[in-house]
Amino acid sequence: MKKKKRGLTLEQKEGLQGYIFILPWLFGLVAFTAGPLLFSLAASFTNYNITSRMDFIGFDNYIRMFSSDSLFWISLGNTLYFVVFSVPLTTIGAVLISVLMNQKVPGMRVFRTIYYLPAVLSGVGVYLLWMQLLSPNTGLVNTILSWVGIQGPAWLFDPNWTKPAIIFMSLWKVGGSMLLYLASMQGVPQSLYEAAEIDGANPFRRFWHITLPMITPIIFFDVVTSTIGGFQVFQEAYVMTESGEGGPANSLVFFNLHMWNKAFVAFDMGYAMGMSWILFIIVFILTFINLKLAPRWVHYEGGK
Amino acid sequence: MKIKEAVLALVLMAVLFLAACSTDAGEETAGTNADEGNDSGDVIELDFWTFWGSETRKPVIDKIIEDFNNSQDEIRVKHTHLPWGDIWTKNLAAVAAGDPPDVIINDINTVKQRAVNNQVENITEYLDEGMESEFYPELWNAAVYEDDIYAVPFNTDTRIFFWNKDMFEAAGLDPEQPPATWAELEEYAELLDDEDGGRYHTIGFLPNYGISQDIWMMNATGQGFWDFETSEPTLESDKAVEALNWARDFESRYGLNVIQGFEADFGNQQANPFVAGKLAMAIHTPTGMYTQLRDYGEDINFGVAPFPEMEEGNGHTTWGGGFVAEVPYGAENPEASVEFIKYLTGPEAQEYWAVMNFDNVANVEGAEAAAQSDELSEKGQEVYQLAIDNMDNTILTPYPVEAPDMMSLINPELEKFRLGDQSAEQALENAQSAVEDLAGN
Repeated sequence: MKKKKRGLTLEQKEGLQGYIFILPWLFGLVAFTAGPLLFSLAASFTNYNITSRMDFIGFDNYIRMFSSDSLFWISLGNTLYFVVFSVPLTTIGAVLISVLMNQKVPGMRVFRTIYYLPAVLSGVGVYLLWMQLLSPNTGLVNTILSWVGIQGPAWLFDPNWTKPAIIFMSLWKVGGSMLLYLASMQGVPQSLYEAAEIDGANPFRRFWHITLPMITPIIFFDVVTSTIGGFQVFQEAYVMTESGEGGPANSLVFFNLHMWNKAFVAFDMGYAMGMSWILFIIVFILTFINLKLAPRWVHYEGGK
Repeated sequence: MKIKEAVLALVLMAVLFLAACSTDAGEETAGTNADEGNDSGDVIELDFWTFWGSETRKPVIDKIIEDFNNSQDEIRVKHTHLPWGDIWTKNLAAVAAGDPPDVIINDINTVKQRAVNNQVENITEYLDEGMESEFYPELWNAAVYEDDIYAVPFNTDTRIFFWNKDMFEAAGLDPEQPPATWAELEEYAELLDDEDGGRYHTIGFLPNYGISQDIWMMNATGQGFWDFETSEPTLESDKAVEALNWARDFESRYGLNVIQGFEADFGNQQANPFVAGKLAMAIHTPTGMYTQLRDYGEDINFGVAPFPEMEEGNGHTTWGGGFVAEVPYGAENPEASVEFIKYLTGPEAQEYWAVMNFDNVANVEGAEAAAQSDELSEKGQEVYQLAIDNMDNTILTPYPVEAPDMMSLINPELEKFRLGDQSAEQALENAQSAVEDLAGN
């Protein structure tokens, strides 16, 4: 065996090659993700306005946020409202629908397709569709409600109903996470159900004691990602309210919308960057709590 | 073997990437070379950004650019169309990166703000003396910051009163006599309502369709929400309170359900109730309303008049916005850019734009020529003439640099009032102090 001069072992060589392969992405991560991230942290302590100003002002932005910007608190409240309702509702909704979709009934594929379809459609077209559906007089939702004698609210025009309307809309799109639950439900060993059936467990108990624990890893994943997604709610409010101003009586001013306005309407970029860091800290803490609570209820097969 | 293939793939990718980059550069040099070949002198190329990409507007602006390019051989303008939602943020990024377009169409209300933040070039020195007199003064003033000129107004809009003559006749009103005051407006509206057990077939008038409460306040007080002399918000006044209460009382006759339903069906410009014959009187921009009536409302027999007065002698004050042509900060050749802007805002190009788009333009001579144009129908001339006459009643409300986002604090207070959560006095007091806080920071 001849020893090479460069003296790299196979392992080192493979390691090096591995790095060469991921180099473009590594470069991207440093230059386009980490760079701007650190820049925004630094700029949040300045009065940066993109074009002409960048003076260090210490914690002024943060002080202003908490002491004199009333819209900051309103926007934070609206966003929390959305997260608190939409995350549990969409999770429960997705689990229930995937249980239904997991039954062995002829034509099930058609139903699965129908329920998944809304997840394929996205963007402004869907919001415009919902604006029509939610129209107080002529919309389909209120028309159906009127058949059963309920006078529907004005949805997107009544400050008390704007957020429920948006949450309602997010429920329509549970098809995406339904797919995850469905996949994990089909991975639950049949033998468990058979054993339970022999022991005389009814369908509800089988769901509660077998299905649910077995899909907790996916529930956990879904809760974490939809919480993060919930805090980033922006498009709905931007598209579905007149000129993106945040709906009647500020009821749809979400955190990101207020941030966007501060950044691109008032050019107060330093302030907006500070806001984004506050949002980051909130999401970080919630995710951390989630991760700490996870061992109490998430059941990993193989005991990890 | 596998590694070899992977390396090959990587190399291929790199080659493709480089090739993609170099085609761009190649095209650019080729373009410049060709131009230099045509003309012996140095041709200045200008990149002109607009958001006019629609079938109706793009050909018009392209024709104006072509005419300019043919009129001289020193400057060649290239039109870049960017979507409405992107253009100004892209411009901002380009200015920050030091590589902006040469000319851009931007919002007239935010010129001062861009001037303060070094986003736009001061073009005072390139403009001719007395150019100011060619434009409507409200528009021109919006482009001035601390005695320096940062932009030239391009187009604008105003709000005028439309009424359906056939409905007037059916309701026993004189079809040639529009309401002159708010009181008359209310009286006529009641006669024009066509209601059947809580469902309205026709609504006489809605104060918040097409415009909103802030314009009623301006019509009452004759001024905007900010005093540029003293740098203070001017929200609180008795007349403003009266205007808010009047508009809300007017609406309360129909009830919130009818109004909100109406807004949802006809809001967001999805359909126009006046054109559909569901609304007997409306306040709207001449451009927006007339073009729809012309194209989809042939059988609507309508008249136009200035905004009704609060009471006789109070004035027909109404509100407008608009767009300017400006040179982004750091553009390479501001003098050439301004040359093009002068053409763009000159009488010839302005008349062409005005006639083709039925749009209010900023150049007085261009606007007046458009009103006489044979290209317009008789009705079109009548509406356009009123639109330009109405410029005397039209005020602009540029955003103050101290509180550029003040409307985001004012509107919610007004909405809370409209929904009955607070009195008009309270709403204006809250708005006034919120804006003062914002400006104080």
